[in-house]
Amino acid sequence: MITVTVDGTEVEVEEGTTILSAAKQADAWVPTLCFDDRQAPFGACRVCLVAVEGAPKPLPACTTPCRDGMEIDTTDQTSRRVATAVVELVLSELPERPAAHTELAQVASRLDVSLTEEPRWPGATHTTDHDVRHPYLAFQHELCISCGRCVRACDEVQGAFALTATGRGFSANIAAGLDSGFTDSSCVSCGACADTCPTDAITEIRLLDGNAVGRLPLRDDHRPRVKRRLPSEGTTER
Amino acid sequence: MSRNLVELIRRHHTVHAPTALDVLKAAVDDHGELTDEDRKHAAEVSGLPEATVYGISSFYDDLLAPRGARHVRVCTGTACWAATGGAHVDAVQEGLQLDLGERSADGQVSLAETVCLGFCHSSPAIRDGDVIDAGPDAPARAIAGATVATSEPAWESLLPEPVLTRPADWSGLRRALTELGPEQLLGMVEEAKVRGRGGAGFPAGTKWRFTRGAKGDEKFIVANGDEGDPGSYIDKYLMEQNPVRVLEGLALAGFAVGAGHGFVLTRSEYPLSKPALEAAADQAREAGWLGTDILGSGFDFDVTIVEGAGSYVVGEETALLACLQGLRGTVSARPPFPAERGVYGLPTVVNNTETLANMPFIALQGAAAYQSLSPDSESNGSKLICFNERFLRPSVYEVPFGMTMRELCEDVAGGLRDGRTIKAVQLGGPLGGILPASKLDTPFDFDALAAEGCMVGHGSICAFDDQTDMRALAVHLLRFGAHESCGKCFPCRIGLRRAHDMFAADAAVDRAKFEQLLEALELGSLCAHGSGMPAPLRSLLAHFPDELGLS
Repeated sequence: MITVTVDGTEVEVEEGTTILSAAKQADAWVPTLCFDDRQAPFGACRVCLVAVEGAPKPLPACTTPCRDGMEIDTTDQTSRRVATAVVELVLSELPERPAAHTELAQVASRLDVSLTEEPRWPGATHTTDHDVRHPYLAFQHELCISCGRCVRACDEVQGAFALTATGRGFSANIAAGLDSGFTDSSCVSCGACADTCPTDAITEIRLLDGNAVGRLPLRDDHRPRVKRRLPSEGTTER
Repeated sequence: MSRNLVELIRRHHTVHAPTALDVLKAAVDDHGELTDEDRKHAAEVSGLPEATVYGISSFYDDLLAPRGARHVRVCTGTACWAATGGAHVDAVQEGLQLDLGERSADGQVSLAETVCLGFCHSSPAIRDGDVIDAGPDAPARAIAGATVATSEPAWESLLPEPVLTRPADWSGLRRALTELGPEQLLGMVEEAKVRGRGGAGFPAGTKWRFTRGAKGDEKFIVANGDEGDPGSYIDKYLMEQNPVRVLEGLALAGFAVGAGHGFVLTRSEYPLSKPALEAAADQAREAGWLGTDILGSGFDFDVTIVEGAGSYVVGEETALLACLQGLRGTVSARPPFPAERGVYGLPTVVNNTETLANMPFIALQGAAAYQSLSPDSESNGSKLICFNERFLRPSVYEVPFGMTMRELCEDVAGGLRDGRTIKAVQLGGPLGGILPASKLDTPFDFDALAAEGCMVGHGSICAFDDQTDMRALAVHLLRFGAHESCGKCFPCRIGLRRAHDMFAADAAVDRAKFEQLLEALELGSLCAHGSGMPAPLRSLLAHFPDELGLS
């Protein structure tokens, strides 16, 4: 066991424990978007930054292992400033506000990031693209923030490998199978992807409700409207 | 990187299955664009899930642009931009009546952009099939369908006795195998304090020591030949003109850390690199320098040459490992470091090509001789540098550390052509700072350049002449940065796009907001792409604030 200090509180953790786990043990809040404790840490969202005594710059809590005697400050101003900027950037790529129940909206609110004000860095947003071909699972691609949680859930938790990250840079997104939707993929309809999604980019359609959950706009005639995106359009935003 | 996918790839590799990326590349080479049938076939033979293959097929530039009977690729690298301000791209688009990424309706011609072809000495450069044509008249020839292969200037060493430009003869490996042994060789590399030549400057001996100490019997060496830095063509010269030196360095690394197999990852933008290395490897096998029980020492070592598919970030070591295994070339968080989990999840050293090219000299002559190569500097060994077309004598030169930038630019490369003067130079690639002409007396050295917000980086020196529009340069750099972001970490994925749009817009750039964005990129990004892209922008803000249209 090693000892680390989180915001002044000493905690004993096993060797190899991440800063994020140690912070949780010390009841310190660290914002996260790409983290799910059922999955291996990913280190993509960069909002879990914390200050560590002696480190020249903030460190990501989810992928940095604790060292004995480490002094961690989860409320460091520089770390929070960067985390806030990143959450603002993420909100700015969505064509609409995330629903209040989503993890993204909750993290934004806790960091005092406004969901309604004009973003600090405005610009292009993802193109609305809904796929409701599957009876239980729906994509709202424009809400995808490329956190990789659905892809990892499908890989690490379910072992179905039905999902993948697609594209690169600002056009990064997700797809099932050969971008052919859940139905034409190795999806087993377990719902792990929808369960972990922090933005409703993948949602479970509740049959009992007779409609989609949240704001997924099923059309009156219930005919799916699907836009097929070819990989040669790789630079197109969705 | 998914452990499950890496394990799948390892198992399929043991039965000699090709990687998904290899299969996809072959399909594009064969019929010009990918179909779902190609993706299904790639999944089947590589053993990867269909979704994973789809993700790979949507990542690499080479797999995305449809190809016609003639596939023309115009270089949009920094040297080509410095030469024309981008006019060559417009000219070719207009002449061929095609947009970038477009194929003519009759399927005869297609046009795409590429960064960079490594013909920075003769910009602008255009590739037609595998012919690379460069120079002021290259666009006209490309439009007329009459491209000719441009020759490359000879490289030159300024050292009394050339080291890196000297053809290798495996004598370093002979000495290591017959006289030194792995521990003594590793000790010499540590003592020589070789710093990585790929940009980060990490001590190579330390990397080797970690991997030698890592648990496991099977280990790998990877030569990072993905010199994607626009404006640099040093590794291209090494791999194509001195491939034996790279392979000998690879074998020495293998001997020192206990690895039996090496890989070189080359760039598809350099179509001659893979064949040159493969030819050298074939000769080495015949001569007994690669294979089993080399020189009767009991050391087995062989190599595989793998070619990438068009992605700058694949030069980052974790992305490189992903590409090598045929996956999407995205960056992974470290730890685990490659020394612990690299190729097939096994301990791996990733060294830059030039770093490895230093090793035969150290094995043969020792650490002291290596240190004395740069008598006027704290940095050890020699360095290959290269100049862009704006200079009078652009080529690759081997130099000692410690010369001033002015000596390099004016005495070695002859200053600029056509009576132009230097406005600024960018060192070490797109993540390197920009040095204004007023600071040319800075020594070419790791530490001295760092003090000016610059870096040795890959060793490229790219001059911008007195007529350069610095705001347009900012747009050029950020366009590259945003295009090449792998999309993994949020600050880089969104932030570089926003930074580009701020400068590309026909409006003043809010300096305070821009600097806040740079901070998020610098401190938040997962790898050196996002955290390094601000460096040249910081230089422009510091030295040319009045030319950027700031508010």
